[in-house]
Amino acid sequence: MMKIINYLDHIDKRWIYLVLAIAVIFPFLFPIGCPMKITPPVSNMYNYINDSIPEGGVMLVSVDYDPSTMAELHPMGKALITHCFSKNIRVFLMGLYPPGVGLAQDMISNTLEEWNKSNPDNIKILGNDISLFAFVPGVSVVILKMGEDIRGTFNTDAYGNDLDSLPIMAGVNTYNDIDYMVDLAGSSVILSWIIYANGRYNQKMGIGTTAVSMAEYYAYLNSGQANGMLGGLKGAAEYEALLIKNNVSQDRNQASIGMDAQSSGHLTYIIFIIVGNIIYFIKRKKEK
Amino acid sequence: MAISTSIWIWIAALLTLSIYSFLYKDNPFYKFSEKILVGISIGYTVSIYFHNTIIAKVWNPLVHDHNFLVIVPLILGLLMFSRLFKGKAYLSRIPIAFVVGTGCGMSIPSSFENLFKQVQGTMPQVFTIGNIIILIGVLSTLIYFFFSVEHKGIIGKVTRVGITFIMIGFGAAFGATIMARISLFIGRIQFLLGDWLGIIS
Amino acid sequence: MKRHLLLFLCMISISVFSQELIDSTNVALIDTAITEMQHSGIVLNVCDTPNDDGTSITIKWDINDSLKGYLMDIHRIHGECDTAIALDMNPEKGIHTDNMVHGGTNYMYYALFKKDDIVKKTDNSLPVKAIGQWFNKERFDSFIVLLLIAGAFAWFIYLAKKGKSFYIRKIAGLDAVEEAVGRSTEMGKPIMYLLGIGYVTDIPTIAGLTILGRVAKKAAEYDTRIMVPSYDPVVMTTAQEVVKEAFTEAGRPDAYRKEDTMYITQDQFGYAAGVDGMMMREKPGAIFLQGLFFAESLILAETGYSIGAIQIAGTTETAQLPFFVAACDYTLIGEEMMAASVYLEREPLMLGSIVAEDLIKIIIVFVLIIGFILGLLGHGFKIGFFTDMFEWLVRII
Repeated sequence: MMKIINYLDHIDKRWIYLVLAIAVIFPFLFPIGCPMKITPPVSNMYNYINDSIPEGGVMLVSVDYDPSTMAELHPMGKALITHCFSKNIRVFLMGLYPPGVGLAQDMISNTLEEWNKSNPDNIKILGNDISLFAFVPGVSVVILKMGEDIRGTFNTDAYGNDLDSLPIMAGVNTYNDIDYMVDLAGSSVILSWIIYANGRYNQKMGIGTTAVSMAEYYAYLNSGQANGMLGGLKGAAEYEALLIKNNVSQDRNQASIGMDAQSSGHLTYIIFIIVGNIIYFIKRKKEK
Repeated sequence: MAISTSIWIWIAALLTLSIYSFLYKDNPFYKFSEKILVGISIGYTVSIYFHNTIIAKVWNPLVHDHNFLVIVPLILGLLMFSRLFKGKAYLSRIPIAFVVGTGCGMSIPSSFENLFKQVQGTMPQVFTIGNIIILIGVLSTLIYFFFSVEHKGIIGKVTRVGITFIMIGFGAAFGATIMARISLFIGRIQFLLGDWLGIIS
Repeated sequence: MKRHLLLFLCMISISVFSQELIDSTNVALIDTAITEMQHSGIVLNVCDTPNDDGTSITIKWDINDSLKGYLMDIHRIHGECDTAIALDMNPEKGIHTDNMVHGGTNYMYYALFKKDDIVKKTDNSLPVKAIGQWFNKERFDSFIVLLLIAGAFAWFIYLAKKGKSFYIRKIAGLDAVEEAVGRSTEMGKPIMYLLGIGYVTDIPTIAGLTILGRVAKKAAEYDTRIMVPSYDPVVMTTAQEVVKEAFTEAGRPDAYRKEDTMYITQDQFGYAAGVDGMMMREKPGAIFLQGLFFAESLILAETGYSIGAIQIAGTTETAQLPFFVAACDYTLIGEEMMAASVYLEREPLMLGSIVAEDLIKIIIVFVLIIGFILGLLGHGFKIGFFTDMFEWLVRII
């Protein structure tokens, strides 16, 4: 018995990596279809976009992450854009950091292609229904200046077109003209949006963040500074599930498919933690 | 689906595997990918900054719009390079002071407003167990962070409650991180099995 | 002291209230004009936007049922020039701000309501001008609280400078600084100091720089190499200054190596990958992680743990602290970082600040307790007077 315990206590961690990799890959090959509960922060955001933004309204999505957290945040952005398309809401994307602009371009081309393929009767056009502001450095300064003059802040879109020439810009000058904004980020830039856009300009906003930072931003839901939050891949999957439930999307998307693997990975972790603790307590008892 | 024929997908897949090879042990493939990541991120940032700042915010306003006010921030920016010249490095303190000064001016009032909203959000309007736990947690944690009082007597007892709340919070955060790490791995697996190998749709 | 205090308060008031003033020379302006819309009975209110820098005019209207489903265009008239400032708007919004105006210039506005072939036009408004205000009156409450808080800070800093001794409790983990530097020296290994991915304006980065000064001084005394890989160029240059000064203070300016405080990249995980690689190659004996850390925290701390370094961490990022607690030998939790730098240096400015912060925390604790009691009596026991008192308190905050 002690031999096994000693072996497990000193097991090469590469075995643990291997077991975890198998546990995560397995559900992709043999889907389980785990049930999913929709949490209030996600449904609040969905309901706000669904019911409170009028047709032709404006939503802003700030893509403030880099490829490293793309797995969690990219599906959120795609789900939000698809929802806006279904409601004929105009969508603006922007990035406060250079990598975000590149990822936003990828998000736009993917969602436009997928939407136009499955909805030929409601074609969406870049510049008319969706646009991406050019990158401007300054983070907090950019957020503040948008409250005074969005056109003067960016001048052009990310593709070099003058903002004044874009039909999507009709009537959009400041935060007053933006019905809702969601910041997708895994860093403290969310706080800048809360402090400056919501705090100073009363911009109604939601948060899309990584699971790591999720706990930190619950406080801002409680205080009413944000009205909804998508946390990690689970948050994105819940949003996708709401889109499917309300017939906006037909198929399970990236995040929903990943949920089986997520559950399997969590189960493996829980087993490791239990085994680890049992070993720890047995060894401690022996030492005494 | 079939295995990808795109060269870019192959490059991305091989780089992903090179980075994951670090889990086995440090090796030249990992080092190579690490240096590529650092190099590309700098290169990409520089090119974006060049086009969207130097060209769009300095060159165009100066040359095309004749907006000579741009010269002021331009000079401040150039002063940062004074660090390259021995004896003139002190000049770089001017733009740094400017950045720190405006940063503080912008953030201090707004941070206080944020604090008020958080205090307001902590005062329970509806009496649920959750709201009361939040209030006790906030009060005891705040008292834990009193530095001019010794943690003895009643204060000591309250701070023990505080540190318990802090540790419970850490536990919850740790759980959320495991979730995040698995999510990142899932993202790569979807890419490797789907976009690259074409095993999953 | 008094002059400094006055200047300090003056600067705070300017930062709270100041708005860029474009043109306020012509005070004889018409700032409100009300125009009747033809055949609809809708009133279009056009006025200078209050509390701004004088570059915007606010247009408000109340929609009636007969115009539901119409799209709205708003036009601005300046001399002969007629410009559409908003096209195909949803009129139910009821408000639009024109931010493209020059201060002190007269403008007139009219609106078009469109549906299929029907177009309804309002009369032109009376001329209106935008003017800037020196002070944003909406933020007066912030100003008062800032004055009180700044006053508390100034008072305690003044007392600390006068030599009054304040008690600061000992921070667990601080003794470990010397132990970590000593152990690194014994093993002949360098020290690595990470300031995280914050900017020089972030308070944890500033606290991290203060602790860096102390660690660098110890390293200089023990003649141990200290490496500071940085995420931000400004933080890097500041760190270079701090380390250089510490080496000079320790009487070892010759041992200072500028190239050891180097820039890595401003990509979050690029930085983590770069630093991880350095850790694996250089195998530092002690690693300090003091500053602002995000998702890269566990990656860094775990790599540090795997090479067997003593790790002393500190950050204010609550989401990252669990990883430091799990993977590091000592962790300074949140504000303990700032208190640690005060405990080490006993510098009057920071000492006074910590005491003032404690006072503010006491006020917040009392406000929360009062809020709880009023809420309990008002909302819990439904006593009208206390409900009003609670609402009043919430409004004030």
